[in-house]
Amino acid sequence: MLKLEKLTRKFGENIAVGNATIEIPDGQMVGIIGRSGAGKSTLLRLLNRLIDPSEGQILFGDTDIAQLSGKELRAWRSDCAMIFQQFNLVGRLDVITNVLTGRLHTIPTWRSMAQVFTPRERAFAIQALDRLGMAHTALQKAETLSGGQQQRVAIARALAQEPKILLADEPIASLDPMNAKIVMDALRDINKQDGITVICNLHTLDTARQYCDRIIGMQDGRIVFDGTPDLLTTAMAREIYGAEAHEAFNEAATSTSIPAAQPVRELA
Amino acid sequence: MSDIIMMGGSAGATGDAPHDAVHAFERHRAELRASKRVWNILLLAGFAICLGLSIYISQFYPDRLASGVPRIFEYFGTIIPDLQWDLLFEGRTEEGRAVPGSLTYWYTDFWDYVGLIFETILMAITATLLGTFFAFILSFSASANLAPSRWAYWISRRVFELSRGIPEILLALVFVFMIGIGPLAGVLAIAIHTTGALGKLFSEVNENASSRPIEGITAVGGTWAEKMAYGVVPQVAPNFFSYAMLRFEINVRASSIIGFVGAGGIGQELNRVISFYSDDRVLAVLILVVLTVTVIDLISERIRHGFIGKENF
Repeated sequence: MLKLEKLTRKFGENIAVGNATIEIPDGQMVGIIGRSGAGKSTLLRLLNRLIDPSEGQILFGDTDIAQLSGKELRAWRSDCAMIFQQFNLVGRLDVITNVLTGRLHTIPTWRSMAQVFTPRERAFAIQALDRLGMAHTALQKAETLSGGQQQRVAIARALAQEPKILLADEPIASLDPMNAKIVMDALRDINKQDGITVICNLHTLDTARQYCDRIIGMQDGRIVFDGTPDLLTTAMAREIYGAEAHEAFNEAATSTSIPAAQPVRELA
Repeated sequence: MSDIIMMGGSAGATGDAPHDAVHAFERHRAELRASKRVWNILLLAGFAICLGLSIYISQFYPDRLASGVPRIFEYFGTIIPDLQWDLLFEGRTEEGRAVPGSLTYWYTDFWDYVGLIFETILMAITATLLGTFFAFILSFSASANLAPSRWAYWISRRVFELSRGIPEILLALVFVFMIGIGPLAGVLAIAIHTTGALGKLFSEVNENASSRPIEGITAVGGTWAEKMAYGVVPQVAPNFFSYAMLRFEINVRASSIIGFVGAGGIGQELNRVISFYSDDRVLAVLILVVLTVTVIDLISERIRHGFIGKENF
């Protein structure tokens, strides 16, 4: 169980995330929606402490994640894998080493510094890659892959961490519909099969509706909606997205449904 | 749209609002140019003053130059070997003496020179390796975007500045006093200077590294060292290599001079022949030094460019 208590992050005067209070049971697949600048990214980064909170608590079991530092913080990050919009792979390293970095937390310093990995670790990484259909690229440099392939490698890296929670910050915003579908299917598969909690920032509404058990809507740093997809009314969605409503409802942009449906009419 | 006339830059624009915008823009531009002009004039004046002062202090006057030019040739006259065509390839006599006028006579100490030049190159290699190692280690904490703490940043920056600020030859003198005459003093002096010079370059390369891979390694729970090793090093390694090779070229030149203060290498011999004999032996050594430096430069440039080409940047 992941529990946020009045979690707040300010950048100067600007409140990026204000008073966020949510409970996320283990094994849920949660989509966070909202327009650009609504605080979705900040919320996700607060969860694995790439950004430090200004106030409030993040409770996982009995531990307050907001208070962790040093070794314990790194242990938390390793339990709470993250995938990014721009993949954040190390372009000049080969794919397998990129995935193996997911194991860094578990191996002694001298081995990580010398880049020495055991055959077991390599096998584990290859299995993770294979699950995403990327094992054949293992010895290629990551930067030679296409965007969709890189994101799948990034997911394999996350899997190599054996995480309890998987955070995905706009995982499909840089991808074409075909790759977006592959990536979202992979995330759902990980959620259903491994029982890993997945928290995913999504820009497009239809993707969130299609894949998530639960949708959280954010607007100007506040949580304005929290519920199952069928509770999210058109009016509510329009309010969450504001001026970006048209773009968010437009499936063709970055959506995952390949034969484009007509979501706006559906909603209306 | 009547405003379209504005696109042509016509001054007689229609409508008050667009006219105001143009006016405001023109005024702003004029102000900007005026303030820039003042700066330009000030800079030019500053430059002129500096140039004048430096001419005065160094007494860089045409007549002095003109009177000095013949003396260059006088000096060259004294170090030009007295070679004779018919004796040029004459070997040694039965008693083992070389015949004056022959190449053998001119380059009597040829194998000593070769040994010393070999020592010089070894000095440059060792110094470059040592300097690159320390520059590499410290460069991460000396990068504003990577430093683990303000303190580490401040200290490593100052270490680089200090080791780069002191001239090699001065460092070499100190080391000669400390540990005695010989190549070790020279190696240490050059290595320290290399640390400073490369460290600055390395840390600037680090500062240009993309933060995305680093964030990726942070997110898997990597330590600071792991972030550097996996997130930064793969990005910067080709650039580091190229800079280290360039430094090696510079260090070959540096180590052929540093012997003047007794810090080993061919410089020591050059200093000896200049101060004791100042005859054709000076030219004999000089030719070898220039040849060595050129050959090393050519080889290292080849490697460097080959590497850059392969890595595509």
